[in-house]
Amino acid sequence: MSFPLIVFYVLSAILLFSAFKVVTAKNPVHAALWLVLAFFTSSGHWLLLQAEFLAIALVLVYVGAVMVLFLFVVMMLDINIEKMRAGFWQHFPLAATVGLIMVAEMVLILASPQAHLAGYEAAAPLAADASNVKVLGLQIYTTYLMPFELAAVLLLLAIVAAIALTQRERKDGKYVDPAMQVEVKAADRLSIVKMAAVRDEPVINETNEPQA
Amino acid sequence: MLTLTHFLVLAAVLFSISVMGIFLNRKNVIVLLMAIELMLLAVNFNFIAFSHYLSDTAGQIFVFFILTVAAAESAIGLAILVVLFRNQSTINIEDLDSLKG
Amino acid sequence: MNWADLNLMPALPEIFLLAALSFILVLDLFIPDEKRDVTYGLSLLTLAACAALQLATFEPFATTTFSGMFVDDPMADIIKVAMYGVTAAVLVYTRQYVADRGMFRGEYYTLSLFALLGMNVMVSSSHFLTLYIGLELLSLALYALIALRRDSAAGTEAAMKYFVLGALASGMLLYGMSMVYGATGSLAISEIAAAIASGHSNAVLLVFGLVFLVAGLAFKLGAVPFHMWVPDVYQGSPTAVTLMLGAAPKLAAFVFIIRILVQGMGELSGDWQGMLVLIAALSMMIGNVAAIAQTNIKRMLAYSTISHMGFLLLGLLAANEQGYASAMFYAMVYVLTTLAGFGVLLALSHAGFECEKLEDLKGLNQRNSWYAFLMLLVMFSMAGIPPLAGFYAKFAVIKSVVDLGAVNMGFGMVSALYLAVFAVMMSLVGAFYYLRVVKNMYFDDKQSDAPIVVRGEMKVLLSVNALALLVLGVLPQGLIELCIEAMRQSLAVL
Repeated sequence: MSFPLIVFYVLSAILLFSAFKVVTAKNPVHAALWLVLAFFTSSGHWLLLQAEFLAIALVLVYVGAVMVLFLFVVMMLDINIEKMRAGFWQHFPLAATVGLIMVAEMVLILASPQAHLAGYEAAAPLAADASNVKVLGLQIYTTYLMPFELAAVLLLLAIVAAIALTQRERKDGKYVDPAMQVEVKAADRLSIVKMAAVRDEPVINETNEPQA
Repeated sequence: MLTLTHFLVLAAVLFSISVMGIFLNRKNVIVLLMAIELMLLAVNFNFIAFSHYLSDTAGQIFVFFILTVAAAESAIGLAILVVLFRNQSTINIEDLDSLKG
Repeated sequence: MNWADLNLMPALPEIFLLAALSFILVLDLFIPDEKRDVTYGLSLLTLAACAALQLATFEPFATTTFSGMFVDDPMADIIKVAMYGVTAAVLVYTRQYVADRGMFRGEYYTLSLFALLGMNVMVSSSHFLTLYIGLELLSLALYALIALRRDSAAGTEAAMKYFVLGALASGMLLYGMSMVYGATGSLAISEIAAAIASGHSNAVLLVFGLVFLVAGLAFKLGAVPFHMWVPDVYQGSPTAVTLMLGAAPKLAAFVFIIRILVQGMGELSGDWQGMLVLIAALSMMIGNVAAIAQTNIKRMLAYSTISHMGFLLLGLLAANEQGYASAMFYAMVYVLTTLAGFGVLLALSHAGFECEKLEDLKGLNQRNSWYAFLMLLVMFSMAGIPPLAGFYAKFAVIKSVVDLGAVNMGFGMVSALYLAVFAVMMSLVGAFYYLRVVKNMYFDDKQSDAPIVVRGEMKVLLSVNALALLVLGVLPQGLIELCIEAMRQSLAVL
């Protein structure tokens, strides 16, 4: 057994276990943390496949940003875990059977000799100074120019959509504009109104007059 | 010897776990979103493995874009989740029953 | 790639759309609420300008740019012009509806334009990557649009359902794409087709991927057995957004399927034909039968959509030029019909009242005979009653199946006549619930006396739209020849 193979099996065991825990964990916070482990392990796999840039991007983008977003939302919402978990294990046998059948079918197809996967030979290891980032960058900014621009549009769309959905203008907000506070003049705060001196006739309430 | 089959089978198992997760967590939207992330991870495994064994960078570039799209997607998904929670004070799908037919 | 070689002309309408959309997005921030009509007007203007650019840069052959990732062929041109028109009509029809429901915000218009941009990209892609990004642009914009009415519990719930199932569908589609990539070593549609034709591809991986691709496509199209999201989403979304997601995206989805299954994997038509037969037959059956039981008209139209997608797939599974052209014609007629149908529902809704129950249409003829007549045209067209466009569309797809002689069901050849007879029977079942709506409008007493107030531009457009169904039904030749010619020119290359 070669060293990469050992690494592969160890990483795979961790990955599959943590993926399993993600979908069965009791607490959504735990699920999110298991997912972090799954992503972290996957980036190890990707290093085995010499996809260094993506391995690092996965950690930075997923573990660093997306999963933090998940955790924020989980903690922001007051989720009733007990209620959500009711009946979970009743569905489990069925789901596990479906999952196992799917695994069996897919593995039978992919691992069968008819699939001729042996024809795909591993690329020769790249030189120690080969730059994965450079190769990808050259392609992304030339051949893949259009998807690159579109990805930017997609992110803009995500920003617009997320703000449009969640931003609320508080009706009871007591927002003050400091510039206006500074510029305020005495006249804005207090106005003196000149009025003719009028004296109302005192109204004498007959019934409610306190008896002296 | 580490072969393509190793990675494809790993991705297939991961894909099945995520489908199982979607079945299991029909009640819990947030874990549902995580199961979808796992599914995309399985797809990414396929692309990177093929890319490596075909000595072709296109697969890696596809994964780069899938990561971008998935980040945008989860941002919108979580935004919808927050709006849903504000409306109904629950993310339990079984409580979501205003649509029936 | 040399920058000097980069020909941006074929993508000019998209580039303009993106620029105009960004401009509107920024400008809208400076527009006070009471002047929101500026955003509305600018959006319509943008659509008109896009259509003009599209026609001005029209070429009767396919041109590619962006390293072959973007293709501009006659099929794409026709569908895109149709999508501009449909989106403009949607914006006009929904103008009053969104204003009445607190959705008359700049985001409604910018998100709609984002969705349109996504559809344009889908239609003009010749690479799996751009196809995927276009699809996601469309889907993300639609998720947000459905949830845009934030105080509506049904709307956000529908958005969540659509989001989860849409993401699942994308996952399947991507899994299929990854397998096809592995099998052929390429992501470009033309190279995939070449690899399959030359036999240098891994047959097992290819078919394995094809199953996932077809499942993902059926999911997005809302065909049985992946249809469960359609009724919930149609019913839960604000009617304006239901129209948005029920109209133009169907055109984009049609081209999306053509690009992947026909242009990319046309050589494998024997393999996908069997799957499509099953999906089409089930969609026609379940869609039509389930629609009968509905009391909510939006839900009924959702099931009717499922059955119409079955008919659309009938044309595709013929796997020849005539079949594709008839499916294209079907898609266009279907979108035109849906547009008019939801247009009438939007016209009947007003502040505080949603026209979405079948009873709400009762006695419409007494209230306003013109709208009742327009709805009559829509329902007759959907049912496929001559001389309306829907009849000719159904006739064309069924004819393309009959001409096939026999279809490959995967396990063996089956006479295409069975499938055609089944389709005719199912359209008869469908006629029942469409005619029930007509009965409600003409033979029942009215339930309310609320006046029907409709903005001028909508009144004109809605009338033109519904009458177009009649005109297209009497004179379908022009459009169908256009579809055949477009298919011939577009499928010849790549």
